[in-house]
Formats: sequence, structure tokens, C-alpha cells
Amino acid sequence: MKKKLSSLGLILFSLLTYPLTGFSAEAELSADMIVKKAVQAAYYQGKDGRAQVSMTISDSQGRARQRRFTLLRRNLSDAGVIGDQQFYVYFHRPADVNQTVFMVWKNLGKDDDRWLYLPALDLVKRIAASDERTSFVGSDFFYEDVSGRGTDEDHHTLIETNQNFYLIESHPKDPSRVEFESYTSWIHRKTFIPIKISYFNKNKEHYRTYEALKVEKIQNFQTVVQARMTDLRTQSKTEVRYDKVEYNLNLPEEIFTERYLRNPPKRHLR
Amino acid sequence: MKRILDHPKLITAFMALTTVGFIAVAALPSLWPDTFPALNPVRVDTDPENMLPADEAARVFHTEMKKKMSLHDMVVLGVVNEHHPEGVFNRASLEKIFELTEYAKTLRWPDPENPEKQIGVVEVDLLAPSTVDNMEQGGLGMVTFEWLMPQPPATDAAALAIRQKAARIPFLNGTLISEDGKAVALYIPITSKKVSHQVATALEEKIAQFSGDEEYHITGLPVAEDTFGVEMFIQMAISAPIAMVVIFLLMYFFFQRIVLIISPMIVAMVSVVWTMGLLIATGNTIHIMSSMIPIFIMPIAVLDAIHILSDFFDHYDAKRDRKETVLEVMKTLFRPMLYTTLTTMAGFASLAFTPIPPVQTFGLFIAFGVFAAWFWTMAFIPASIMLIPQNMLENFGLKQEKAQEEARPKLVRFLEALGKMTYAHPKYVIAVSVLLVVVAVYGIQRIRINDNPIKWFNPSHPIRVADRVLNEHFGGTYMAYLALEPEVAETGTGQHAEDFRERLSSHTKQLDGLVPMIGETAVQVNTEARRLRDAQLSEKAFLDGLETFVNDKLETVSFDEMEAWEALLLVIDQQRQQNQIFKQPEVLSYMGQLQDHLLTTGIVGKSNSLADVVKTVHRELFLGEAQAYRIPDTANAVAQTLITYQNSHRPQDLWHFVTPDYRTSSLWVQLKSGDNIDMAQVVESVDQFIQNNPPPVPLKHQWFGLTYINVIWQEKMVSGMLEAFIGSFLIVLVMMIVLFRSVIWGMLSMLPLTLTIGLIYGIIGLIGKDYDMPVAVLSALSLGLSVDYAIHFLARARMLQAQHGTWAAACIHVFGEPVRAIFRNAVVVGFGFLPLLAAPLVPYQTVGIFIAAILLAAGGATILILPALITLMQNWTFPKTQTMPPAKPTLKGGVS
Repeated sequence: MKKKLSSLGLILFSLLTYPLTGFSAEAELSADMIVKKAVQAAYYQGKDGRAQVSMTISDSQGRARQRRFTLLRRNLSDAGVIGDQQFYVYFHRPADVNQTVFMVWKNLGKDDDRWLYLPALDLVKRIAASDERTSFVGSDFFYEDVSGRGTDEDHHTLIETNQNFYLIESHPKDPSRVEFESYTSWIHRKTFIPIKISYFNKNKEHYRTYEALKVEKIQNFQTVVQARMTDLRTQSKTEVRYDKVEYNLNLPEEIFTERYLRNPPKRHLR
Repeated sequence: MKRILDHPKLITAFMALTTVGFIAVAALPSLWPDTFPALNPVRVDTDPENMLPADEAARVFHTEMKKKMSLHDMVVLGVVNEHHPEGVFNRASLEKIFELTEYAKTLRWPDPENPEKQIGVVEVDLLAPSTVDNMEQGGLGMVTFEWLMPQPPATDAAALAIRQKAARIPFLNGTLISEDGKAVALYIPITSKKVSHQVATALEEKIAQFSGDEEYHITGLPVAEDTFGVEMFIQMAISAPIAMVVIFLLMYFFFQRIVLIISPMIVAMVSVVWTMGLLIATGNTIHIMSSMIPIFIMPIAVLDAIHILSDFFDHYDAKRDRKETVLEVMKTLFRPMLYTTLTTMAGFASLAFTPIPPVQTFGLFIAFGVFAAWFWTMAFIPASIMLIPQNMLENFGLKQEKAQEEARPKLVRFLEALGKMTYAHPKYVIAVSVLLVVVAVYGIQRIRINDNPIKWFNPSHPIRVADRVLNEHFGGTYMAYLALEPEVAETGTGQHAEDFRERLSSHTKQLDGLVPMIGETAVQVNTEARRLRDAQLSEKAFLDGLETFVNDKLETVSFDEMEAWEALLLVIDQQRQQNQIFKQPEVLSYMGQLQDHLLTTGIVGKSNSLADVVKTVHRELFLGEAQAYRIPDTANAVAQTLITYQNSHRPQDLWHFVTPDYRTSSLWVQLKSGDNIDMAQVVESVDQFIQNNPPPVPLKHQWFGLTYINVIWQEKMVSGMLEAFIGSFLIVLVMMIVLFRSVIWGMLSMLPLTLTIGLIYGIIGLIGKDYDMPVAVLSALSLGLSVDYAIHFLARARMLQAQHGTWAAACIHVFGEPVRAIFRNAVVVGFGFLPLLAAPLVPYQTVGIFIAAILLAAGGATILILPALITLMQNWTFPKTQTMPPAKPTLKGGVS
């Protein structure tokens, strides 16, 4: 009896492993590699880029708030390398936060530098970025969602590979710095764009979801042009639309400095 | 009647069967809800909010605002450390607080009514050191957002640092941490009040695992209300039976025959079962009010039965035949008993005219219960007598009693002396009564109308203790919210279009030369604005229309034109934000002043508002300096301060203070007392302040929150009860006039009742007992019961006067058996309810002591004042010109 069972197990095992060995080229990708490629696809396309972003935050009662801003990004590393980056976010609307600027220097291996310029108070503030998992201007996105989370901050495991997606489960190396216990990402096998990310808390409850809603090919780069973040606890959701996405604009380096917070580079913001 | 006496077993069987039927319709659907879906199960409702009809304006507003401001009812868990020199701000205490918070986050269960949903703690809104943000300036040009306590502190020094950080944040200081540092409060929001007891119990279990110097206190109105519901059942199961036992023992003391006194007990039980069965079967809830129905029905049910037994007792010895005695007794008693029943029913049914649904239910069902008691008293008491074997009645009756009287003649002698005294010195009796009336009037004027659900518990109850301790340490655990909204609707169609065009032209001038093609584009927008103005749209539709127009243009125009169109979009948005009045600095400053004023009441310990948020963020943006703790000068600066605030871990906190359209704001007011009188005073004080200090823009203010809702239903209760009382008083008076066929006798019969009620409420005023929910309801009880004694006394007095010719001769006889019966009645039932004093829930204690007081006072008033008045007013009460007519059947009743 025991023998029969174990031989049955062997057959099952070989059946299960057979398809995997079939896709030998892709199966060689480690979880870490897949995650790196995904981060590349989501945050590092081109050497720089610009998008006009419309953000709609809707609460559980369907009350919506709008944000309109221009997002400029510049990679400091060579193509294909996950390195330091700079972001410049210029707010158009609501009217009363018009000209507000938020700037990030993303430093790999150490805390990011963040600046905030508040025109009505004529105030430039450095934001101590000890915690990047705080809300991005009241939306359901975190700062880290805007600038990207370091690939080496989590342990990644490939859970499943199906026809379209890699399913990666990630656990933080330092759980005290984050509010999640794990997250699972569905990463598209061809484009490496994360299509869905689900976050789980310490009680293994699913509380937050990211979804890429629309992907377009722009200047040969697969680009998410519509995405949504949902907080399942507050029932609040934030949808972003990226319009007029352009890559490789040769954005000048000096735009991403404190000097330009007070004097926005209007020419580059449209 | 004869038929009843012929078929006592049939009657008994019928009673047993119907009663079992009532038990069945109530119990079956409760025990097996799936098997009996058509029947209503027992539903318990402990929510004082339900004192108001669901469509009551204040309640509708409360519900609407709770949703609008995303507010939940809260369980407050206070952790106090009085032993450690730094209070709770030491490593060990904070570690426990952290653990408790993590535990509280997990307290969720599937909703029994909808298993897909979860009920319990609302994790995202939980306020605890580990779930709130610390925002502080992080050195020159820096600002930090971080969790106040991301992990339990590793050292005592780190624990102290947490206190220092929290103390700087007005929203936390006095709310989350006590200003003396001894305590931390966790505010645990829950999906609905119904789970508060469940949450509290789970927390208690967790706390039981801790050791150390910390004390833990759980409070909050939802817990109090829910706990009350749980204890209400324990109460019903314990106090009501104890009362039954005491009544039983007292009756035994007077009648000495268990076989006889068992039947009134059965009638009482059956009446209660019928009433409660009907209550449940008709889908009504067991509410704080309806849970008291049994306690009210029992004395009334027993009263009727005692009269029959008493009379049977008196007459049996003469006839020595059960059937004949019963027939005679029932013949004489039928109509007076019918009348006392009708008056009692009228008293309670009048409660149906109060505007408070649970009180209506209470009144109507007691009226039903009184009817049931009367019915079974009529049917079962005679039947039960017939069922008693003849031999058991030997040596029973008056003779027997006479022997007993000699054994303890004190009562007889005392009552007779009393009768002689009232006859000899009626003026003294009246003088004392008048004096009592004066005292009562004085006392009534001092009545303090007040209630507080927390005070429904004994002072030693953990909830009361928690309430006391936490209100010593914090700004207050009673929450009330003040909603502020612009008074006028948005300006009419014409005006906003003109405003916009003005704004447009001034902006165009400013941008001329700076933005290419601004002039040309502005002309197009202006034309569109005119067109939309003529379409007579609301401001929102007008601006939406303009925005669509500009956005459409942006899709098609050349790159060069875009800047101009973008600039115009901004102008449209600026116009839109003009209506966001809670971003206007002068409005926020006004809110600050209002908050300062709240503190001067001495009742409000603390308040939190949007103004505090803005001031705090502004201060931290400007190096954390005290002088920067202010509202910035422009609406844009306010908006940018707020967008900075929204970069925290909990941006949603903002929407507890203001709606996303910035048109409704809510002040979170913490009161140190949940007494309605205090809440009412705060309301009054705010009205005054707003009247004397008009807001910069017309604002309407309206309160909500549980503490406020309690005030509203109390107001309704007081006025409703007064109306119901006056109404039933008049009805009973008319019934009395009809019963006695005399205006004077009718009015006389109302006297003891009037005096009793006056006296009881006078005493309430004098001893400073608050006029609260149970006290309000007692007026109906006093009306229903007090008049009974008067009916019996006057009917018997008139009959005896007719028998003996003069009042002087009759008086002494009245003070024989009739007065003895009243005296017994008052003692049996009055003392029977004193066991309620042992109850842990104060409303039951109140009911217990006041039922006793009412019965004794009404008995006293009847046997003292009525004879004195009859004596004094003999010319009117027994006119000499008219020989007393043979007593009409109604009055013939030797009712004793």
C-alpha cells in the first residue's frame, strides 16, 4: 500500500515538473531577476520621461478629489541598470496647490532625499524620508509606489508561472519598516509589467491592491497609462491616468535641483 | 360566572394551554429560527438611540453626519499606571499597550446577519500610540512624518521620548495621552454599537493575561449601552423572581394559606407571559423600557387577586360554601374591579401619545398585561378556589382571622385609632397635607431633568469606575460633535456667472504679456460663460460646463495655445474653490475661537478640529516654533498646509474633520460628563457664543453624537410624559365622575393620586435625584395604581355611610376591613418590590424604590386625607337634604 502511494506520488511529481522543464529558457529566471526586470519595466523605461498625470481619489462614499500634476523623471544610471533616479512632480490643480512641487532623489542603498515646495507659504522643506510608506498627497498610493521600492528590500519567491504571468511572493527583510507582511505580484511574462499587486497584513488579510488598468506601447516602451490603487480597509481608491507620455527628452540635469523648486521649468512641464 | 365555577378545570386547562401557546410563539422562533421563519424571534435592543423614531430629525442628521464624516462609535480603553514615576511612559507599560493595540486590530468576526461582511474593530481608524503619526520638524528645513510608536520602545528613555513627542501634538495630548503622563487611551472604533460588548469582553480576556502595575479601564457610551443590554437580561432573570418570592412571603404572612395565595402568583405569571409573548410575537424588541414590563405588571396583577381573596376570606365563614361565597364576592367586586382595571389601563395606554416609540410600546403592552391580569383574575381566581378541596378550607376565613387579630391586635388598633384621629382632627390632617403640598411644590421646582446612560450602572460597576478614572486623566470620554455648514446655498445662477467673468477679466489682465494668446482664449471662454449663464445653470454645472469646454479645446489646440488654456482652467478651479469655506483662514480662526470658548464651560475638557490640524502642521513647517502655531494668512496657504498633512500614514483622518468639498466641518468635542444637563449647557453656551460672535460667513451649527442624541430624546420624554400624564389624568377623572355619578366624589378620588405624584416628584426634587427615564415613566404607574385605592376606599365609605346612616358611625367601620385591605395591599406590593434595590442596574433600583414609595404614599393619602376631607365636607359629600340612595350596584361593592 505504501509503495503504491509513493509511486503514485512520483508520477504526479513528474507530471507537475514536466511543463516547467519544457520552458527551459524562461524557467531559468530567478525570482530576483523577474523582480528586477519588473522594476525596470515600471520605473526605468528610457533615460528620462514625462507624463501629465490626472489622479482621482474616490472615497467609500464615491466622493472624488482630483489632482493634476506633471511628472518628470531622469535616470542617473545607464540603460538596463537599476540605479539612482530623480523625480520632479509639479502640481497644476487643485488651484490652491498650483505650483506646489515635490522632488525626489532616489538613492539606492540609502534613504531618499525628498523636497517639498509650498508656494503660498514660500517654503522649501526637506522631508525626512525615514518612512516611504506614507500617503502620496492624500492618495492611496505611497511615495514608494511613485518612485519604486528597492528590489533588495524584500525576499522574493517565485510561486507560480502560468501562461501569462509570474506570481512572485515578497517578504520584507526588515518587517519593522513596513506595514505589510507580504505582497504578491502578477508580473506579465512578456513585458514584465506588474499587472496586479496584492498586499497582506500580519493577519494574512488582503488589504491593498494595485492594478495596471491599461498598457500602451509608447516610443517602443510598454507603458502603464492607467492604474488603480485600492485600500480595501477604507474602501478608498485612487486612479491615475498618464497622458502625453514621452521618453528620452534629454531633460536638463539642473531641473532636478532645489533652485528649480521655486522657479518651475515651464517649458518642460507641458 | 356560574359557568366558570362549574368548570374550573376547563378554565385552568384553557389558561395553561394559551400560556404555553404564548411561550411557544416567543420561544420557538428564537431557539430554532430556521424552522419557524414566519415567527418573530426574541430581539434585544439596548440602543438608547432607539428612544427616538428612526425618522426623527436629530437622529437622521446624526446618522447622516456619521457617514459624511466617516465616524464610528468607539470603545475607549484606558491604560493607567499610577505606580511608575513616569506613569505609563515606561518600557514595560508601552510594550503592553503595543500588544493590546495589535490585538485590538484583529478583533473582527463575520457578521451573523451577513456572513460576507465583517463586524468588529475598524482597524484604519484605531487611535493608539502605534497607529498615529508623529509629525515634527526634523531640523533646519526638514519635516518628518513617522509613526509615533512604530515598535515598543527598547528603553525607558525611548518611552519618555514618545510622551514628549505626543505632548506636542494637540490632537493627541489630552486625547490619546493624558497630560499628566499617567495614562494612555486607545480609541477603538467599531462597525456598530452592537459589537461593543463583544469587543470589550475580548479585550478583557487579553488584559487578564497581563501582570504589572497597570490598571485597565474600558468605557465609552457604546460599551455602557451594550453592557446594559447584557445585564438587563441577568436582571430580568434574578430581580423579577426575587420580587415574586417576597410578594409571596408577604401574602403568606397575611393570609396564611399557600393554596390560596398561589393563584394570584399564577395570575401574575400568566399575565407576564402573555404580555411578553405577545410583545415578542408581534416583532417588538426587548428594549430597556420593555424589559421593565414584567416588573410593572406583577404588582398590578397581584393587587386584583388580593381583593377577591380578601373578600372571600371575609365572607366564607358565613356561608361555608365556596361556590356561593365566590358568586357573591364576584357580584360585588365585578364593576369596581373593572373600573380600577380600566383606569390603570388608561394610565398606561396614555403613554402611546408620547413621541418615544419604546415608551409607546411599553405603555400599550402594560395596558394589555393589565387587561390579561384582570381577565385571569376574573376567570382563574374563582376557578382556583373551586379546585381547592373543601377540607383544606376548614378553619379558614373571618373567624380564623379574628383569632389572628387578637393575636396581633396592634395593626387593628392602630388603624382604628387612625380613623378616629382623622375624624376628630380632620383639620390637622388637611393642614399637614397642605404643608406636604407646599413641600412638594417646592421640591418639584427643584427637579433636575437629567440622565446619563453611564449612570445606569452602580458607582462601583467597572464601567462607572472607568468613566471616573479616565475622565480624571483625559479631556473627556464623552464625544459630541458640532457640525458647521454654510448657511446659504450657493449663490444664484446670475451672480456666480458674473463673478466668474470678473475674475476672468482680472486674471487675463494680470497674465497679459506673460502667457501667449491669453487674450484670445479668454474671449472664447467669456463667450461660453455668457452662453452658460443664459442656460441658468447651478454654479457647479456652470463651472463643469466651462471646464469641459476648455478641456475639449486642450485636445485640439496647438502647443503654443496650451499654456493659455491651462491658465484658464486654473481660473475656473479658483472660482470653484471659492466655495470651499473651510479653507478660508477667517473661518478656521473663528473655529479656534469657538473651541477656546468651549473650554470656558468647564464641561468640555478638550476639542479637536480642522483648525488644530492646520495650526499644528503650520507650526512644524516653520521649525516647530510656538508662534507659528496659527492659521496661515491665505486659503492657498491653508490648502498647502493640508496637502502636507495628507502625506502622512493616515491622510483619511482629515475627513473626520471636514468633508472633501470643504463645505462641512465637524468639531470633535470631548466632555468630561455624559449628563444630559451638561451637554445641554454646552449646547446653550455655543448658541450664545455664536449669537454674540457672528461667524465671518453665515454658518449654521448643529450637534450630533450619542451624548447629544441622549439630550434630544430626554427632552421629548419629559414633554411627552407631561402631555400623556395630563391626558390620562383627565380621562381617569371623567371615568371617576361617571363611576360615582358625582363630580365631587370623582374629584375626591383623584386627590390621593394627585398628592402622591406631587409628593413623589417633590421628594425627587428635594433629594436631588435626577428626573431620568425610569422616573418619567413612573408617573404613569402612580396614576394607574393610586386611583385604585381611592376607588376602593370611597366606594366602601359611601356604602357604609348608607348602612350606618351617618358618616360619624360609618367612619370607624371604614377603618376596619376596607382600610386594612388597602394597608395590606400597599405593604405586600410595596415591599415586594424592594428587592429591586439589590439590582446592579440603577434604573431598576429607581423603579423598585419608587413603586414602593408610590404604593405606600398612595395608601397613606387614601386612608388619611380622604376620610378627613369627607368629614370636613360632609355637607357636600353626604348632602342632608338627600337621603343616601340605596347603593347602586357599582358602589355597593364592599371592596376590601
